[in-house]
Amino acid sequence: MNKISSRQLYFFLACVAPVGKLVYLPSLLVSSAKNDLLFPAALQYLVQAGAIFCVLLLAKRGMNFFELLENTFGRIAASILIGIFSLFLFYSALLPLLEQKLFVQSAFYDTLPSLVAFSPFFLFAVYLCAKPLSSMGRVWDIIAPLAIAGYIGIMLLSVGTADFGALRPVGAAGGSGFWKGTMSAMSWFFDAALLLPLLGKFQYKKGMAAKGALAYLLGGAAVIFFLATFYGIFAELSQNQLFAFTKTSKYFAGITVLGRIDYLFIFTLALVMAFYCALPIQAGIDCIVQAAGPKKYLRPALGIVLCALYFALTDLLDYRFTEVVRAISGTVVWIFPVFCLLVPVLCLLLRRRRREIS
Amino acid sequence: MKNVTNDLPKTVEALKKLLPAEDILTFEFLTEKGLTFTVVFADPITDKELLGEQVVRALRRFDGPPTAEEVGKHIASPEMKREKSLEKLAAEVLAGNPVLLWEGMDEGVVAGTKKVFTRAISEPSTDVAVKGPREGFIEDVKTNTSLVRRRFKTGELRIEMVEVGRRSKTFVAVCYLEGTSKAEAVEEVKRKLGEIEIDIVPDASYLTHFLSSRPYSLVKQVGTTEKPDIFCAKIAEGRVGLIVDGSPIALTVPYLLIEDFQSSEDYFVPPYRATFTRLLRLFALIVAIYLPAFYVAGQLFKLQLFPVKLLLTIAGSIRDIPFSPSLEMLLVLLVLEVLNEASIRMPKYVGMALSVVGALVLGETAVSAGFVSTPAIIIIAFSGIGLYAVPNLIEQTSVLRLAMLLVAGSVGTYGIILVTGFVLFYLVTTENFGTPLLAPFSPMIGRDLRDSVFKYNLGSLPTRPRTLKSPNKRRLK
Repeated sequence: MNKISSRQLYFFLACVAPVGKLVYLPSLLVSSAKNDLLFPAALQYLVQAGAIFCVLLLAKRGMNFFELLENTFGRIAASILIGIFSLFLFYSALLPLLEQKLFVQSAFYDTLPSLVAFSPFFLFAVYLCAKPLSSMGRVWDIIAPLAIAGYIGIMLLSVGTADFGALRPVGAAGGSGFWKGTMSAMSWFFDAALLLPLLGKFQYKKGMAAKGALAYLLGGAAVIFFLATFYGIFAELSQNQLFAFTKTSKYFAGITVLGRIDYLFIFTLALVMAFYCALPIQAGIDCIVQAAGPKKYLRPALGIVLCALYFALTDLLDYRFTEVVRAISGTVVWIFPVFCLLVPVLCLLLRRRRREIS
Repeated sequence: MKNVTNDLPKTVEALKKLLPAEDILTFEFLTEKGLTFTVVFADPITDKELLGEQVVRALRRFDGPPTAEEVGKHIASPEMKREKSLEKLAAEVLAGNPVLLWEGMDEGVVAGTKKVFTRAISEPSTDVAVKGPREGFIEDVKTNTSLVRRRFKTGELRIEMVEVGRRSKTFVAVCYLEGTSKAEAVEEVKRKLGEIEIDIVPDASYLTHFLSSRPYSLVKQVGTTEKPDIFCAKIAEGRVGLIVDGSPIALTVPYLLIEDFQSSEDYFVPPYRATFTRLLRLFALIVAIYLPAFYVAGQLFKLQLFPVKLLLTIAGSIRDIPFSPSLEMLLVLLVLEVLNEASIRMPKYVGMALSVVGALVLGETAVSAGFVSTPAIIIIAFSGIGLYAVPNLIEQTSVLRLAMLLVAGSVGTYGIILVTGFVLFYLVTTENFGTPLLAPFSPMIGRDLRDSVFKYNLGSLPTRPRTLKSPNKRRLK
């Protein structure tokens, strides 16, 4: 498979990555930052865009993530470091998976479905994991327009019913609300970390770092507009509207006549989200493959083991989603800034010139 | 013995040993000067009238020195050639070309007087155009290549004949425009054809298996057409074409999925109309694949998908149906597939009766008997028609529709979404002859999108599709 092109990367940052932030995050932000929900999200986007800028600058060196580490620390230390990083990626995959499972159960089924309903996702994920990560570039070419269509469709049906006045008075949640919102949102922003395993799979082009960060901010602007619309529709009731993008459009006047036409757009976004949720697992596996070298059955074998594990975990934690969110976004939330912000910045300090490795 | 010798009886005997079949005949004739010629020929496929006219009559008065060169000059056949190898002479006899041998000569002369069975050139029933040329390929490779040659009055058009099939020795014409088709693609086609180890090639479709990078895939990887105008247009874009003797279907590589959404007529009507019809084909195909599945998933798992009034209508129709929605839909789909299959194979005069039986007896009676509901029949009928909006993809899309239906009945809408994801990923990772199947959408090639689902006017398409990596980029100066 060919390398990922810069356009595909921008598509991912601007169109695919934002979709993961439209499900549970809006209500979570409302619960901590109330009507000031836009500010923690904006801050997260700004900081994450900075981290993405750093990662894309690393692409100038023409090495993949493992080679970058190996170049500075040697093979053994690099293997350990990349192993730890892949563990983080597997960890970061858990929340989106649980979130998606609940979203699927709520949005696509009238009654609580059996275990079977979400399990095909893991087959899908195994299939994706068995393929090289660079093949995702072409997927982004296809799903980015779908994400745009889905987003525009949902927004067209939603904006008319939103009262943006509900966002006032600005700053009502105060500093503590802003801080709580920022911390709780942290576990949804790991896009810079997702880019690290992609290093070496795309060629650096002039201005790519700035364009990439800008593309990410563009996606962020769309998410912030959605958050504003979401709060504009539900105001203080927003924190109870768990799967935001399935809820905002249901008050559109035409729905009584036409049926839930908004589901067309929800399906489209669900398809994009299925690819997005599998990406951290794919990226984690790719890190291991980078360290272990290309071995024929390594990717599918790891994919099967990990997806079986996630299948068990999502089933066990099905009714404990709130506790999981509280744990991940509370006690151990520092893990995310360490791997998503600190690691990309520190990577800039890695040795620039290629060292002769015996 | 491997070659022709001066000893005529021995040569004829050796040739007969190579060709022991009863329909391989020999006859002798004398010239006025008393020289004896022996002709070996395959009775059913040799044009004996032509043989008599161009060979026997021409040589009756032959009085020159009996060398192959002199004999050759007297034979009035443009396809005449000389050959020493007995095996090659045997192959010529089997191809319908008689072999001429005479005493004292160590080579034979091949007279190109084979009998060519052809039907008239007519419009192909699978690719009808309201506007545009109506010619279609037939089963004869020579006629087909002549249809191509007529459209390219340039020496750049190369038609290379390759033999495929150990026993059938089928001629495959590899057609391409030198300097326009990518040289690597031409070489790869020839290499793949050379590697084919098959007994016979009854039809061009046999070759698609060998030309595909994923031969067991459900997805089509080689383009097909029965129309010379489409074939030539594809070659002019930089593709390589294959015409197989005995088949009216020509193949083109590299193939892009979007090709099957384009029709030759799109280029003869205004671009906005072409864009509209292409979008319509895409819409029809999506509806054909997804409508039955979503109908079943909606009924089983998410009733909110239906508007309230429609839901009430559906509820009224399915009230007394003894089957589950998925089983009911599968049943109707199965009936449609059987009717479709039977109507293709059935003699034409029974076809009308079959339509009546299919539409009235099976449809109307099944509804009134309460076996199936009216909405199910409407949905399958619409889906069945929709599939034919893109006729070249029927084999693939009908299987996909069935898969969607099965998934919808067991997992619901999320299953449909995931299968879509599977299919998308599979499609974007499929390449053949170095060309991605889903181009120009993935990888996205902006300029090529002008002739994809959208159709710009001719002036806006000055270059050949970038996807095909043609060395000759401009087609419009």
